[in-house]
Amino acid sequence: MKKLINDPFDTVQELFEGFVSANDHLIKQVGHRSIARIESPIAGKVGIVVGGGSGHLPAFAGYVGKGMADGAAFGNIFASPPAKPVIEATIAVNSGAGVMYTYGNYQGDCINFDKAQDHCRELGIQVQTVVLNDDVLSAPKDQAHKRRGIGGLFLVWHVAGAKAEAMASLDEVVAVTSKANANTRTVGVGLTSCTVPANGKPTFSLPEDEMEIGLGIHGEPGIKRVKLRPIDSVIDEIVESILADLDYKGSDVAVLVNGLGGSPAEELYLVYRRVSQILKASNINIRFKHVGEQVTALEMAGVSVSLMRLDTEMHDLIKNSVVDTCMYKKI
Amino acid sequence: MSDVTGAKVAKSLLLVAKRVEENKDYLCELDGEVGDGDHGVSMTIGMRAVTRAVNNLPDSVTPQAAFVAAADAYADEVGATIGPLYEAAFRAAAEAAKGKTNMNAIGDWAAVYEAMAVAIQVLGKAELGDKTLLDAFFPAVEHIKKLATGGGDLVSALESTAKCALDSAISTKDLVPQKGRAARLGDRAKGHQDAGATSLAIVLAGFAEAIKAG
Repeated sequence: MKKLINDPFDTVQELFEGFVSANDHLIKQVGHRSIARIESPIAGKVGIVVGGGSGHLPAFAGYVGKGMADGAAFGNIFASPPAKPVIEATIAVNSGAGVMYTYGNYQGDCINFDKAQDHCRELGIQVQTVVLNDDVLSAPKDQAHKRRGIGGLFLVWHVAGAKAEAMASLDEVVAVTSKANANTRTVGVGLTSCTVPANGKPTFSLPEDEMEIGLGIHGEPGIKRVKLRPIDSVIDEIVESILADLDYKGSDVAVLVNGLGGSPAEELYLVYRRVSQILKASNINIRFKHVGEQVTALEMAGVSVSLMRLDTEMHDLIKNSVVDTCMYKKI
Repeated sequence: MSDVTGAKVAKSLLLVAKRVEENKDYLCELDGEVGDGDHGVSMTIGMRAVTRAVNNLPDSVTPQAAFVAAADAYADEVGATIGPLYEAAFRAAAEAAKGKTNMNAIGDWAAVYEAMAVAIQVLGKAELGDKTLLDAFFPAVEHIKKLATGGGDLVSALESTAKCALDSAISTKDLVPQKGRAARLGDRAKGHQDAGATSLAIVLAGFAEAIKAG
């Protein structure tokens, strides 16, 4: 293992301390491993609390700031945070207008965020939750509730954050976030494993000439291993499975080409090139796009492609949103 | 055998923590075959927190308070799925040990183990056969409950219960996972031994070893 770390068991605490001090113009620490926007609570605004395991930056804490999330809880590497930091973030962002939790669909996150939600409701805080499940290949369509949440959160949270920023009610923010999630699909492909610092060894091994389609953002196995081949044909397969899962024909869409942490931006543009060609040929209109590392898996090489189908409301929210967060800005 | 006091329960938690950490890499390896490879890390983080908490307990500690300290340690430090599951298990253990000044009887441990397994099932919503730690825990609970009705030696009861848990953990190789990240793999996870069931067997073996050592 070759990493810029001290004791591997101290990595999360130390990255948390560094993150807080590097972003102290935008956020404040509100608990052991929880942060909130520096202005929190913002009068009349629904607070959005996100979180999950560490190892995915910019997701999730990197999106705390204007236009996306109000608070975040840090877990250990690839492990959901306990309920406590979620509760701390909730209390810090609650203005009385209510708080929405939104996170990816993993058993650990569901258990810990639900526990925090129960606790905060007992304190009299209105809390609602939208769990994200955009990973097409992680479960068949008739079991979509079992699907994981991966890169699509980046698109969904634009819509959620913009709605909350417009001072919509908790019910309205929840409704549009659920709608955005229902219209978002993602497929990823991994080329290499990653190493959890406290583990010290790569999570899995992938032969030099193979790639894994449908790989999760924690190194969980995907649906199949295939021989390395030109990226265009891989992207054709990925985008085809997205388009087969939801009818995008003739629609407006938002697109994310997301690097998993170990693939250079140059390669991500090759991916975007192919995605845009396919969408154009399928009569799908790209209204918003982003190419870059957003929802990563430490140093894993690979990419995910997310498409969010837009109606007028979602289109206007994402187009007009202004985002100024710790690790992502959009004007 | 001397009294299994609260201080001895606390001491046994330290040995459990040590044995779990010694198996960190092995547990990660098992988990990496089908999950995200961090089970040994999460358990080690939890057990290090248990060690810190238990080291602060007074010698006069009750069995209940020792288990509460372990529950609080898991609650604050771990997260993931395993954090709340072990928190709930240790809290249930504390409840089952409530009012007791020692844990000398096989029935005391049967009650604690059963309470732990039930708490894990309630929170994790897994059934027997779902390829989770319950596939090691439930057979072990049945085993020790039977021994409790017959009376006999506590140390050998705890040892054979731990052996039962380990055998059951090894048998999870034949199961198809229904819970956690591994569930998304279906048949591809067959043939792999469940990491959570294995660490549970290590925990029970740690208790047996500590009580034997006195």
